[in-house]
Amino acid sequence: MLVITCVKQVPDTTQVRVDPVTGTLIRDGVPFIINPYDTHALEEGLRLKEKYGFRTVVISMGPPNTEVTLKKAIALGADEAVLLSDRAFGGADTLATSQVLSEAIKKLGEKEEVAIVICGRQTIDGDTAQVGPGIATRLGYSQLTLVDSIESVDLKAKKIRVRRKLEGRHEIVEAKLPAMIAVLKEINSLRYPTVPMRLMAEDSKATLWDNKIMGLQETTIGLKGSATQVRKIFSPQRASGEIIGEGLKDPKEVSRLLIDRLMEKHVLSL
Amino acid sequence: MEEVKKVKKPRGIAHLIPGKCIACGARCQSDCPEDAIEMNDKGEPIITAVKCIGCKRCVKICPAQALEMYFTPEEQKILDTMTDKAPEEAEVVEPGLKEYRGVWIFIEHTEGKPATVSWELLGEGAKLAKTLNVELCSVVIGENVEHLCQESFSYGASKVYLIDAPVFHHYRTETFFRGICYLVEKYKPEILLMGATGMGRDLAGAVATKLQTGLTADCTGLDIDEKGYLLQTRPAFGGNIMATIMTEKTRPQMSTVRPHVMELAKKDPSRIGAIVRESIDIREEELPTRVIEVIEDASGDQLDLAGAEIIVSGGRGMCGMENFSILQELADELGGSVGCSRAAVEAGWMPPERQVGQTGKTVRPKIYIACGISGAIQHLVGMQSSDLIIAINQDRNAPIFEVATYGIVGDVFQIVPAMTERIRELKSKKGGSPKNGSSNNGPSGKE
Amino acid sequence: MFIYISTIIFAVAILLFCWSCYKRFRLLMLGKSVDRFKDFGPRLKNVIFYVFGQRCTVNHGYRFGWNHLVLFWSFMFLLIANTEFLFEGLFPDSVSFSMLPVSLYILIEIASVLALLAVCIAMLRRLAFPPSYIEARSMDAFVILGLIALLMVAFFGLHASEIAKGELEATFMPVSNFVASTLFSDVKQETLNDYIEAFWWLHAIVLLAFLNYLPYSKHMHILTGIPNVFFKSLTKVNTQIREDFKKGNVFGVGQINLFTWKDLMDSYSCTECGRCSDNCPATNTGKSLNPRLVIHDIKANLLKNGPFFDNKKAPVLPLIGKGGEGSVSEEVLWSCTTCGACMEVCPVSIEHVPKIVDMRRNLVEMNAKMPGELLTFFESMEQRSNPWGIVPSDRVKWATDITVKPFEAGKTEYLFYVGCFGAFDARSRKVSLAISKILDAGGISWGILGKDELCCGDSMRRLGNEFVFDRMTKDNIKILTDKGIKKIITQCPHCFNTLKNDYRQYGLELEVIHHTELINNLIKAGKLPLNVNGADLGNVVIHDSCYLGRYNGLYDVPREVISSVTGRAATEMDRCLEKSFCCGAGGGRMWMEEEGKRINVTRVEEALKKDPKTVCVSCPYCLTMFEDGLKSTKADDKVQVLDVAEIVSMGLK
Ligand SMILES: Cc1cc2nc3c(=O)[nH]c(=O)nc-3n(C[C@H](O)[C@H](O)[C@H](O)COP(=O)(O)OP(=O)(O)OC[C@H]3O[C@@H](n4cnc5c(N)ncnc54)[C@H](O)[C@@H]3O)c2cc1C
Ligand SMILES: Cc1cc2nc3c(=O)[nH]c(=O)nc-3n(C[C@H](O)[C@H](O)[C@H](O)COP(=O)(O)OP(=O)(O)OC[C@H]3O[C@@H](n4cnc5c(N)ncnc54)[C@H](O)[C@@H]3O)c2cc1C
Ligand code: SF4
Ligand code: SF4
Repeated sequence: MLVITCVKQVPDTTQVRVDPVTGTLIRDGVPFIINPYDTHALEEGLRLKEKYGFRTVVISMGPPNTEVTLKKAIALGADEAVLLSDRAFGGADTLATSQVLSEAIKKLGEKEEVAIVICGRQTIDGDTAQVGPGIATRLGYSQLTLVDSIESVDLKAKKIRVRRKLEGRHEIVEAKLPAMIAVLKEINSLRYPTVPMRLMAEDSKATLWDNKIMGLQETTIGLKGSATQVRKIFSPQRASGEIIGEGLKDPKEVSRLLIDRLMEKHVLSL
Repeated sequence: MEEVKKVKKPRGIAHLIPGKCIACGARCQSDCPEDAIEMNDKGEPIITAVKCIGCKRCVKICPAQALEMYFTPEEQKILDTMTDKAPEEAEVVEPGLKEYRGVWIFIEHTEGKPATVSWELLGEGAKLAKTLNVELCSVVIGENVEHLCQESFSYGASKVYLIDAPVFHHYRTETFFRGICYLVEKYKPEILLMGATGMGRDLAGAVATKLQTGLTADCTGLDIDEKGYLLQTRPAFGGNIMATIMTEKTRPQMSTVRPHVMELAKKDPSRIGAIVRESIDIREEELPTRVIEVIEDASGDQLDLAGAEIIVSGGRGMCGMENFSILQELADELGGSVGCSRAAVEAGWMPPERQVGQTGKTVRPKIYIACGISGAIQHLVGMQSSDLIIAINQDRNAPIFEVATYGIVGDVFQIVPAMTERIRELKSKKGGSPKNGSSNNGPSGKE
Repeated sequence: MFIYISTIIFAVAILLFCWSCYKRFRLLMLGKSVDRFKDFGPRLKNVIFYVFGQRCTVNHGYRFGWNHLVLFWSFMFLLIANTEFLFEGLFPDSVSFSMLPVSLYILIEIASVLALLAVCIAMLRRLAFPPSYIEARSMDAFVILGLIALLMVAFFGLHASEIAKGELEATFMPVSNFVASTLFSDVKQETLNDYIEAFWWLHAIVLLAFLNYLPYSKHMHILTGIPNVFFKSLTKVNTQIREDFKKGNVFGVGQINLFTWKDLMDSYSCTECGRCSDNCPATNTGKSLNPRLVIHDIKANLLKNGPFFDNKKAPVLPLIGKGGEGSVSEEVLWSCTTCGACMEVCPVSIEHVPKIVDMRRNLVEMNAKMPGELLTFFESMEQRSNPWGIVPSDRVKWATDITVKPFEAGKTEYLFYVGCFGAFDARSRKVSLAISKILDAGGISWGILGKDELCCGDSMRRLGNEFVFDRMTKDNIKILTDKGIKKIITQCPHCFNTLKNDYRQYGLELEVIHHTELINNLIKAGKLPLNVNGADLGNVVIHDSCYLGRYNGLYDVPREVISSVTGRAATEMDRCLEKSFCCGAGGGRMWMEEEGKRINVTRVEEALKKDPKTVCVSCPYCLTMFEDGLKSTKADDKVQVLDVAEIVSMGLK
């Protein structure tokens, strides 16, 4: 039985700065990392492996240098890593991404039954949270997003019970396997790779699947298979470092100015 | 004249403007017909000049305007002499798309209690519908939710598609998604909007995939272009850039929209409209998921810090345990949670699990309000990637102001109560009960 | 008949003793090899200095150190007498006491009296002023002291009866003679014969018992102390050894046999005097770490598990864990600030810190077990090369308001290695500015690496994450060599120590200088125009940074600077110089939460006793710890904390 974790390599956007003069992104020195939510997805996969004896496979669609990221996953304990990389996969939106990923999952499923696919809640670059539901829909799996705890997996009855975190409440849901779960960071705390595992991972290799192997129609993948087009990118007007009510003495007045500013910028609505 | 025409128009070679590429995911590379583009480790294109045929496809596709055509001075000269412009390729609109008409808003609710974002969407949807000159409709799915139809009308919808059945009691992806897909396939709207809440994002992702259409996430701006397409603007890259996204070739054009951003529609209870009742055959037994239990979260001070959208944090400047109550009051008004610096834990004013920072929690709320916190680096690392930071401190030189979006130089004991006061005042003006504000919108985009 | 019995008893006892020693020695040999034989000369010097001079025992203000000195020297002489006695017992016919030169007798006599006295004092002291820990009053100590006392009594009894009987010339034995004349003068000749025999046997039995008890008691240090000092590290223990990151290797020490034989010998040599724990900041603030017990547990573990290893069986007692005596708990290991106070005061030169770091390595590298806070810290260090995961381009922010030149090979003399605190921490950035102002005033040619500067990796190494430290170091060395950097000024003592002492293991010899030292040189050379007492600093109390002082011996430098600027000597705290009390941030403690009484608060309270207006530090860690500590003791409105550089920059004309 397989647990498949989907991980994406992303630029560490918390480190990205915007040039105040030109308004362009300063990406210099910003490293590529495993999408932080996906590290928790991977961790959950490893825990399931330890608890129920699954085999854990990590898959990622991305440029060839994603292999570095995948090696990290192996150092943490993943059994196998599959890198989906091809010129034809480039420029994909979530629709085209979920197509490639779900086809890869199907392909893995030919050899070994897939029980659970784990995704992160969302990425920190694309930020859409759409790929997980996309995969579930395409494969007809049970879809469980916003999961903050896996309560139990019943392999005989082919059921999984999870807790979902919603606004102001939690929900315990039982679903049939196979299932796609998208996890929150709260679901677990991460592990750190041991040195022997790191050394082992350094010599390991990710399995590379390009479109020759995948054999997908070009109109369903990459830029051509994307339903959305990114037209334009610009830098947001970022208020920063502004002192509200400089010199004003009356606290009421200053508070009013602040709250009004927040409302005006739509960060607060009452 | 004859002679000039014989000169071949130079096509130039594409090249990258340094610093502008945002590593969007190799759009340029995948659109290049000649495989002239390779991506480097930073995700930026390297264009092989000899392979480039100057087709400009990469230049057009690049969302960051990071690519341009390069001409040698000689070529430039020739270009300058040529005045005639090549005719713009006429865009071919797929014939099927015209069938889709109308703006639809999905009305989100938990067991009949509507989420405010739905009414915000009706407000925005009305503007879009007006520009397009089409109908504004709501989609209501649930059990015993007919009252939401009338509410939809009063917020501006002229038609409501209603599916009301026991199987829809709890929100579940399968049921709702089948309901919506059924309606969309039957009635063909051109635009479908949902709130970018936990539920909205769960549902929209499934619906768009099933309908094989484009979906833009977490939009903060919507508009219609001259051709009648929906322009969807959204933050990406952790809020560092804004992207305008379109769905040109498929319908409906779907987006999820961030709560609190669009203006709430004016409510007019006298408005009426048509209810289209639909039903679909879903049997409980064939559904893969079941909601076993719903656990209501403890409110107020027990709210978990890590997931809080708004955090009001206090430091040594709070001067005592009892004073944290003014922060709690503000947090309650905002639907947020109270955090603190290590100094406050050290003094025994707050429990350690409330500590934000290097050896405490790392948080990333939408709004972080630092009250009487100096901004030591050990504290900053725990909160500086919050979307918006407000600092209240007496000391104009406190390092916290370096990271604050908005700062107030003043006494927390005066400012904080005044802020709470102002919020209450605004809420009562709106006439809503003081608590229905921001707290019913589902977890949205960020954590 | 008598002759044979004594020969047999002596032979058996001595063989038993040798067997015990051999068993102990075999266990030592379980340890990994390490070269501690080179440089015979300096090693011998150490023995003379530390052992025969009893430097550590006498120094450091221990009241009873002198007693030990007396006991030690008495023992040296008695060793001769007792060796002779053993020979006599083994070969009763061939050797006799008279073989020793007569003049020695008097020395032996005096030594015996002194030893007896010292033993009494020691016993009384254990009863009246016991050391800080309870086990010091254990039977072990009293048994040993009692045996020594008995030995002395038997010695005098034997000689006195012999003198009384006229068998022995009394001239050079004043004490025995005195005993003979006072106690035995009336005793009959035949009875004297019995006395002689009885005292002889008493002496023999006590001596043999002592010999055989020794290897099993804490007084094994009598045997291993001297060799242990001989094999001690010839340099200050300010670094830890490298590891070889090859597949299949085991990293760190998680099992007793992974220590080096010297580590194990250290554990044998521990005298359980408790000086290390007396000076340990962790022990002193109620943490579970007690360096004496760490060493004791290592020994206990070796004795328990050793035989199993010897038979190639699995150990029965975990080295790290909650196994009680013989196991060191994780909590203990994480409490160490690597301040080095324990090693400084240890009379037998035990090296505590490397052992603690070795065990941390095992936790981190083999088991990925560590306090939760360290996970983010490790990630930030590995990915961003700074403790907080801040983007490298922010490394130049501190200098936005001044003009700083980048380092250029051939043009710039010194690299100013700002360090993570100096670059990112708001408070320390002010120190960076003060340093740059001084460097300019002193006409120094300097530059920075800016966003290319990497973290030195100090905390990673002390926390046992040697794997990442190794990589960071290699990256750093590449940058430093590529840029042709030869001379470095550091702001932080931790960068200083790491660049200077840790990087040397990688073959990088740099001229590293801490800013206080450079400033001192500038002042001495008259290159800094100073306004003596230009700033109102009031009473200045000085705090030593462990990594500057104990690790690198720079005690005078900051003091000299302060007195040249303020015109008078800085006020010392009760614990200062070698015995200075750590601020609590070293050894990676800066990145962990501290439970219970805080070390920095303890230190701040100590400083406040001197009623300072200014506390002067020379390390960004100390700076943070003192500022925080002053705030928590609500003294921050009366007392300021300044770096040496800030004091100087205030005094610049
Ligand atoms: C500025 C910008 C804006 C964009 N806006 C949109 C938009 O509004 N709508 C849209 O459809 N596309 C959009 N895209 C494209 C989108 O970012 C990519 O399609 C991307 O491949 C997947 O989306 P995501 O990063 O948002 O993933 P999410 O849907 O947020 O990811 C959820 C989870 O899916 C898994 N996953 C996602 N991508 C991969 C992968 N490549 N390999 C393995 N697992 C993966 C991970 O587990 C991840 O945690 C945008 C791209 C850019 C550059
Ligand atoms: C190992 C270690 C780990 C640490 N980890 C953390 C951590 O995880 N999180 C953390 O927060 N800190 C941590 N610290 C502590 C950190 O160094 C600072 O000491 C701490 O953040 C300071 O807290 P503070 O800002 O509340 O207090 P202060 O620095 O004392 O600041 C109080 C502020 O309140 C202002 N003020 C006072 N009265 C008023 C008033 N009436 N109105 C308005 N403003 C007022 C003052 O101007 C001042 O700026 C750590 C320290 C160490 C050594
Ligand atoms: S299309 Fe533009 S932003 Fe995207 S990779 Fe190419 S150059 Fe960069
Ligand atoms: S180095 Fe310092 S903290 Fe560590 S055991 Fe020794 S004295 Fe204690």
